[in-house]
Amino acid sequence: MNPTLLGFVRKEFIQTLRDPRMRVLIFLAPILQLLLFGYAISTEVRNIRLAAQYAPQDVLARRLEERALRSGWFLPAAVRGGDPFAWIQAGQADAVFIAPARGLTQDVQRGGARVQVLVDATNVLRARAVERYLQAVLQEVLAEAFPGAQTAPPIAFDVRMLYNPAMDTAFFLVPGVMVMLLCIITVLLTSMSLVREKELGTFETLISAPVKNWEILLGKTLPFMLLSMVVVHLILLAAIVIFGLPMRGAYWKFLLAAFLFVCTTVSVGTLISTIARRQQQAMMATFLFLFPAIMLSGMMFPIENMPEGLILVAYLNPLKYMLTLLRNILLKGGDDWVFWTNLAALFLIALVAVGASFNRFRQTLN
Amino acid sequence: MTGGFYLSRAASMARKEIRHILRDPFTLAWAVGLPIVMMLFFGYAIDFNVREVRLVAADRDHTRASRELLSLFGSSRFFRVQPLEAGRSAPADLVQEKTKGVLIVEPGFGRDLGAGRPVQVQLLLDGADNSTTGLIVSYFAGIQQLAWKRLALAVPRAPVALVTRYLFNPELNSHWFVVPGLAVVVMGILSIILTALTVAREWETGSMELLLSTPVRPLEIILGKLAPYLGLVFATVVFIYLMARLQFGVPFRGSHLTYLVGVILFLTLCLAQGLLISVLTRQQTVAVQVSFISGLLPTLLLSGFIFPIESMPGFFQGLTFILPPRWFVTVSRGLFLKGAGLAELALPLGMLTLLNLLMVGASLRAFKRDVEP
Repeated sequence: MNPTLLGFVRKEFIQTLRDPRMRVLIFLAPILQLLLFGYAISTEVRNIRLAAQYAPQDVLARRLEERALRSGWFLPAAVRGGDPFAWIQAGQADAVFIAPARGLTQDVQRGGARVQVLVDATNVLRARAVERYLQAVLQEVLAEAFPGAQTAPPIAFDVRMLYNPAMDTAFFLVPGVMVMLLCIITVLLTSMSLVREKELGTFETLISAPVKNWEILLGKTLPFMLLSMVVVHLILLAAIVIFGLPMRGAYWKFLLAAFLFVCTTVSVGTLISTIARRQQQAMMATFLFLFPAIMLSGMMFPIENMPEGLILVAYLNPLKYMLTLLRNILLKGGDDWVFWTNLAALFLIALVAVGASFNRFRQTLN
Repeated sequence: MTGGFYLSRAASMARKEIRHILRDPFTLAWAVGLPIVMMLFFGYAIDFNVREVRLVAADRDHTRASRELLSLFGSSRFFRVQPLEAGRSAPADLVQEKTKGVLIVEPGFGRDLGAGRPVQVQLLLDGADNSTTGLIVSYFAGIQQLAWKRLALAVPRAPVALVTRYLFNPELNSHWFVVPGLAVVVMGILSIILTALTVAREWETGSMELLLSTPVRPLEIILGKLAPYLGLVFATVVFIYLMARLQFGVPFRGSHLTYLVGVILFLTLCLAQGLLISVLTRQQTVAVQVSFISGLLPTLLLSGFIFPIESMPGFFQGLTFILPPRWFVTVSRGLFLKGAGLAELALPLGMLTLLNLLMVGASLRAFKRDVEP
C-alpha cells in the first residue's frame, strides 16, 4: 500500500480514537440507539387501559371483561366515579365498553345485543387497535358461551406475516438504526475531521507537503470508511445475537451494499467540509442533511403514504435504497432483482457524490 | 460588581446574539429553517391513514364471487388491487418489493360460499415493513365486515354487535394525532440544542470570561443570550398553532391560557436543560452530542409523540416519568383534542412544574458555581 496513505490512515485513527468524545460518539451512541430502537419503542399497541360498565349480575359482560384483561392487550383502568366519558377525558381509561342497560346476557337471549365501546381516539393507532382486539375477544367469548351456534365467520381472512411472523418491531427498526449510525459516523466524523484541519491551520501544511490531492482526500476519508465498516459489523452481530434478527441473504451482498453506501456518505461529509469553516458548522450542516434523509428513508414512516413531492425527493435519498437493501438482504434473503436495481441506484448516487466532493475538494485546496 | 438587574444590559446581550445568528448562515438555517422543515416532515409526511396501498391479488377461483371480493378491496380507496402476473409466485412479488401484500383466493371459493360453507381467503403480508403492514391490518376488520354483508348468502346474525364511538377524533384523522405533539418535538429539539450551542460557544472561545469581567451580571448575560432563542421558539409555537388550526383543521377545545402556561413551563425547562449542558460540557461538539442524547432522542422516541408509552418495557415506562416532553405531549393533546381542564391536567402540569423547578435550580446553581469561584 501507498506509504503516504498508510501514514494518513494511522494518524487519523490515533487522532480519532484517543479523543474521549469521539470514543463516546463511536461506541456509546450506537449502544444507546440500539437499545432505544430495538428494545424500548414498539409500534405494537398493548396495555390499553380498559374500563367496563355493566350490572353486577351480568355474567356475559363480566366474562367479556375478564377475557379482555386476560388477552394481554388490555389492563384494568383505575376509574373513579363519574361517567365513562369523563373517565376517558380525564385520561383514566383509554377505552370503555358499556353493556346494554337490561344486561348483555338478557339481550342476547332476546335475540341481539349492542355493546357500546367508547375509545379515546387522540391516538389514532391505538384507537384502531382497540376495536380489532375487542372484536377478537368478543368472538372468543361468544363461541364459548354458545357452543352450538355457528359463530365461524362466513369468509375468514387468514393473515400471515411473512419474514417476521411475530411482528417484532426490532426486526423492522434495527436495519434503520444501522443505516442511521453508518451515516452519523461517516458524514459527521469525516466532515468534522476535515474541518478541524482547516480550523487548526494544519491544512496549509498538508497542501505544502509533497502529497497529492487524492492522497489527502483518501487519507482523510479511508479511516472513517474502515471505522464505519467495523461498526456496522458490531451492530449486525448485536442484531443477530441480542434481537434475534436473521441473516437470510448472502454476506457479500451485505458487504457490497454497505461499502457503496459508505462511499456515498463519506462524500457527503467531504462536501459539507468544503462549505463549513468551523466544526460546529459542519455539525449543523450534518444535521440538516441527516434529519430529512432519515425521515425520508422509510425507517419509521412509510414513504408510500407521503405527499407526492416528498416521494420524489425520497428517490434521490441514498438512505432509502440502503434501507431497502438491508431489509431485503437480512429478512428476505436478498432477491437478485431488488439487490442489483437498488445497488445500481446507490452506485449512481455514489458516483455523483464522489465526483462532486472530489471536485469541490480540489477547488478548496487550490 | 454593580448591583441590581438592568434590562438594558440584557437587551444589548440580546442584540449581540441576534447579530451572531444573522451573521452565520448555518445558525440562521438552523434557527429558521429547521422549524419549517420539521413542521413539513412531521405534519405532512406522517400519515397513518392508508391511501391506496398496492395489493396483488391471485384469483385462482375465477367466479363472480371471487371477482366481487377483489373489487371490494379495490373500491375501498384504501387499497389498489392488481392481478398477479401469470407465471409468478405470490411470495416472489413480496421478496421483490413489488407489493406489501398478496391476496390469494383459492379455487372453490365461490362454490363453497354459495353452499353456505365457511371459506378462507389468504392474505400474505410483508412483515419486514411493520409500519405499512400494521396499517393494512388495522383496516382489515372493516373490509371483512363489508365482505360478509355483500357476499355471504347466509350471514349469521351476530348475537352481539360492537358499536364503537371514537371520542375526540371521530374520523381518526392522523393529523389530529400528530400535529398537537409536533409543537413539543420542535420546541424540545430546537431550544435545547440551540441554547446548549450558543452558551457553549462563549465558553469555548473564551469570551465568557471576558463578558463576566464586565459590569454585566451573569443573570443578565444568560437572559440576554437566551432571549432571541426564546422569541424564536415562541414564534415557532405560534406558527405551529396556526398551521394546526388553519391548515390541518385540528380543533382546540381547551383553554388557551392553560396552553400558554404549559408552553412557558416546558420552554423554560428546555432552555434550562440547554444551559446546564453547556455549563457542564463547555464545548460545542460535546454539547451537541449530549443534547442529542438527552434531548432529541427522548423527545422523539419516548414522549408518546408517535410510539405508545404503554407498549414500552417497564424500565422505559418508568423513565418517561422524569421526561418533560412526555408530560407536555399529554397537556398538548388534552387541550387540543379533549378539551381537558385544570382538574384533568393536574398531574402533567404538576410534574412539569416540579421538573421545571429542579432543572432551573440545577442549571442556575451549576452556572453560578462556574462563574463565581
